[in-house]
Amino acid sequence: MDFSEAAERISRKFVKDGTALADKAKIEGKLRRLVQEFGVQPSEAERSVTGELAREHNMALPGSAPNGQRSGGGTAEKKITEAVPGEWVTFEGKVVALSAPVSPSISQSGILADESGAIRFVAWAKANAPAMNEGSWYRIESGVVDEYKGVANLKIHSGTTIKEISEDRTLIPVPQEIKDLHAGIGGVRAKVVQEWDASHERMLQSGLLGDETGTIKFVIWKEPGREKLEVGGVYNIFYAQVDEFNGRLSLNLNGATILQEEGDIAVSGGEAAFTGAIVHIAPGSGIIKRCPVEGCNRALSRQNYCPVHEIQQKFVYDLRIKGWLDDGTKTHSILLQRDAVETLTGISLAAAQEIAENNPLGMDEVFLQMRDKVLGRYVTCRGREIDNRLLVNSCELKTFDSAEHTGLLNRAGGAA
Amino acid sequence: MSTPAREMPRREGSFEREPARRVFAGELRECHYQFREGDDEKSPTFVLLPTGERCNRIFLIGTLTEKTRQGEQNMFYRGRVVDPTGTFFVMAGSYQPEAMQQIAKIETPAFVAVIGKPSLYRKDEASAPMVSVRVESITVVDKETRDLWVLDAAERTLDRVDALRTGDSPDITKAKEQYPTVDPVVFRKMAYDALAQITI
Repeated sequence: MDFSEAAERISRKFVKDGTALADKAKIEGKLRRLVQEFGVQPSEAERSVTGELAREHNMALPGSAPNGQRSGGGTAEKKITEAVPGEWVTFEGKVVALSAPVSPSISQSGILADESGAIRFVAWAKANAPAMNEGSWYRIESGVVDEYKGVANLKIHSGTTIKEISEDRTLIPVPQEIKDLHAGIGGVRAKVVQEWDASHERMLQSGLLGDETGTIKFVIWKEPGREKLEVGGVYNIFYAQVDEFNGRLSLNLNGATILQEEGDIAVSGGEAAFTGAIVHIAPGSGIIKRCPVEGCNRALSRQNYCPVHEIQQKFVYDLRIKGWLDDGTKTHSILLQRDAVETLTGISLAAAQEIAENNPLGMDEVFLQMRDKVLGRYVTCRGREIDNRLLVNSCELKTFDSAEHTGLLNRAGGAA
Repeated sequence: MSTPAREMPRREGSFEREPARRVFAGELRECHYQFREGDDEKSPTFVLLPTGERCNRIFLIGTLTEKTRQGEQNMFYRGRVVDPTGTFFVMAGSYQPEAMQQIAKIETPAFVAVIGKPSLYRKDEASAPMVSVRVESITVVDKETRDLWVLDAAERTLDRVDALRTGDSPDITKAKEQYPTVDPVVFRKMAYDALAQITI
């Protein structure tokens, strides 16, 4: 390995305003040490030293670049949705939103979009990049896509060049279906189906948005110029931030482009129906006690303890069944509420209470009786599917259908 | 390099329960290959069906014809559950206390719905592998529910036989390697015979 040549190659990558950021002799020393003392492969040594320098100068660098072909502008030109974290990229896109930098080391942050999609970007203050204007098109060469909080993010560093594109291009964003949203940036055409009480003083509004394919929580934080959405209104929402927390998605509408429109959407509410066998009844099914405090309604422990309101002796009885419904190819988590439980088991709340208070096994006896009545049975459950769990509104036993029987006989005998 | 954020599944890390496959006793009896997915202590074990589907869990309904209690210190129950095509051997030991209590209460004969995990074992080195089902849960059901299961199992069996002919999933390829002498027509006929036994 020619150490001085490799060192030269590396040092060329770390040049700012014409002056080298790194000492070539030092680089050469590091390479020599790795290769000769530690027996590291030359290409790996070069990668490792480059990476170290990149971290030092806050310039995220991707994988190995042993041949030094990357001398600015040599990065692949891509559509925004094609970018993979860890890549150097060149994008042409429109700045569709700018947001206040969260740290003094950031000069500008916002969202860049092209026809394929959108991505958040951050320009480091150190990069000395020209300020971009909202609504204008830019060609951004040699940016780096990395991952921040699990979401792809474009970093504009000192090696990035930004050119404004003067020609007027149109960009028509296409809304996605709610069920297809994923963490990152997304747009939907949706109706405000619910408005919830603000859980934080900085929160302007939160609630539920829905389209034909599902629902998603949204939040708007207080910020000058932000207005509440109208409940029941239909909106085109573009470039909203899709956050993921504990596996649940939500839309942050600060920074999004929101246009109200006429018309209505038949919100599916995640209405779904599954038929299968009940293959498991989980603990916590049967008769339960709920916290009587207004608006709480949490299930109490056996000692009548509510996680929030502590011991509650004047609890309220309720019925529910938590379990798994299995059609042989997929298993759905189901939650049956009181009405569905009463219909399916034939045990009313009053009857269950009577058992719970007088049987030596108490509430366990209700669980056992209900289990023996529903486990292994074929049912059709209808309800709303939220976070992979079906909240069942109605549940009925499947009955034998002789047409289905005949059909299967024909199928089995026919094509033999 | 981490996986691209955009291709990550929407619900990363959320729990997917292994579905309970529907299989006739006549097919399950033919199984002699099982494998483990992953090297972890808790990695699931799958029995590969000759029709090319893996199963970690099965759901079956049949007639519990006999049950025997065995062992003193480590008591467990064995049972035979009969469907239109053959017999399932089920067992519930002290690691399945709920299943053991359930089976203890049932008077034979009775239609039972069983959810359990199949596994292969050999009586000794020389003998052929046997499939037994470790019961997770067993409940008494009526005849109509049994008939619904026969429809369900027949449909799933036919689905698998069709997929075996046209599909090329890794499990189908593996099944063809492991069960070279098995003719899928047998299972189509098995489904037909099972359906034909249902009298209304």
